[in-house]
Amino acid sequence: MYWISKGFIFTKVDSLVHKLDPRVKLLISIQFFILALLVSDLIDLAIIFTGIILFANISKIFSKLIRTMLFAVLFSGIILGINIIAGYSFIYSLQIALRFVAIVCSTSIFFLITSPDELEYVLRWFRIPNDLVFAFVTAVRFVPIILMDALQIIDAQKSRGLELEKGNPITRIKNFVPILVPLIVNEVIRSGELAEAMEARCYGVVKKPTVLYELKLNFNDKLAIPFCTSIFILGFFLSI
Amino acid sequence: MIEFKDVNYIHSNGIPALKEINLSIKPKTINALVGSNGTGKTTLARHINGLLKPTSGNVLVFGKNTKKISVASLSKRIGMVFQNSNHQLFADTVKNEILFGLNNFETDSQIIKTRFEWALNFFDLKKYENTSPLKLSGGEKKRLCIASVLAWNPEVLILDEPTVGQDQVQKGKMLEFISNLNKQGKTIIIISHDLEFLWSLKPNVIVMTKGKIRKTGKIADIFSDDELLNQTCLMRPQLLDLWMKLNIKREPPADITKAADIIRRISGS
Repeated sequence: MYWISKGFIFTKVDSLVHKLDPRVKLLISIQFFILALLVSDLIDLAIIFTGIILFANISKIFSKLIRTMLFAVLFSGIILGINIIAGYSFIYSLQIALRFVAIVCSTSIFFLITSPDELEYVLRWFRIPNDLVFAFVTAVRFVPIILMDALQIIDAQKSRGLELEKGNPITRIKNFVPILVPLIVNEVIRSGELAEAMEARCYGVVKKPTVLYELKLNFNDKLAIPFCTSIFILGFFLSI
Repeated sequence: MIEFKDVNYIHSNGIPALKEINLSIKPKTINALVGSNGTGKTTLARHINGLLKPTSGNVLVFGKNTKKISVASLSKRIGMVFQNSNHQLFADTVKNEILFGLNNFETDSQIIKTRFEWALNFFDLKKYENTSPLKLSGGEKKRLCIASVLAWNPEVLILDEPTVGQDQVQKGKMLEFISNLNKQGKTIIIISHDLEFLWSLKPNVIVMTKGKIRKTGKIADIFSDDELLNQTCLMRPQLLDLWMKLNIKREPPADITKAADIIRRISGS
């Protein structure tokens, strides 16, 4: 679980892509997302996956993306199975399943190359209300913390004789009750404390708070936008 | 009883947490793991009940290598109480919380009943038997966590920061019950920054810095080493500090009342 979960958490990496303006990163991710939605046959999907893997390598996040991919493959297996049972051909079902993996990967790429701070700047740039931005960014920021909490709880319950891998599937699901209850309780307590701490630091007093950094496009950003967009337009017209 | 042989542990992110650990913990002793934050104290303790396996080297518990035994079978003999009580409590009542570990480890219903009653009474939780653990105060939650571990009668008890969030009365009770458990033949391992608390227990001290064991020995020897204390960010207990400043040769007692008597006797007043 820990291995897979690392595929969803941002860590700072020294790469060309990580240095880009977060709006450019969002643009690239959206372009991948649209292409993943549009393509239908297996060859197009293979091209999309090659593009995603190539981009992940340039961004030095491939080892993380592979975890996200594996996670998505687990779910795509269910999609494949349901489609086959519903009477669709194997090839068509496979295309749908792979498209799902491509969509998950294109979304994951954005969160792997964009820090929660950058995410906040992007959302503010779109003039999304301050409260919504804060709630969303805080949720993203708390993912690794909740994960660490979950691991601590698993350790604590294992020390009291809990064996998660023991028993039939229903017993295994029941085994998670001692993990989920303290996890939810902890997070509810934490969110209450966070709200109080924010209020204690004057959160909400000013309708539109100022920001320390302003987003600015540099030379690399100005180069990346036309380059990626031209590839996207090419892919767009080839896929329709 | 517990032996670390050339143990190294590297976290999944590549950061080494334990380096060349060689340690032997004798049965029926009280041991304290001390050191500044992030020195690997909890990581070391988690090797004892097999939650973590060494990257290299071996940890032998009761003569068995932890790499070859499950956490559950080790936990039956080694109880570990975690620092954050909220990480453990999940049941709807105090009763079910205590019974959780007992039911996992014991099959004899008579033993379960006896041990449950013992834990409830020993930790003064009888009045909360049918209360939700989440409604208890911080100190009561801590007691419940310890009760739910001691209920199955492990031979070794590991306590991670047992005094955090406890008032002076609760600390006093904690001190008393740790001493009692030790007299009953249990091996105690305490991870703590509360050196005043540790001083009263007179444990064997294991000082850690940057994933290594810096020094082991009797608490009085450790705390008389100024250089070690400076390097490990530890502060000498006030009573011992006073003793050293007064240049009294004999070992200081565990509590302040006895210390005051000795000082009065020496000064002739």
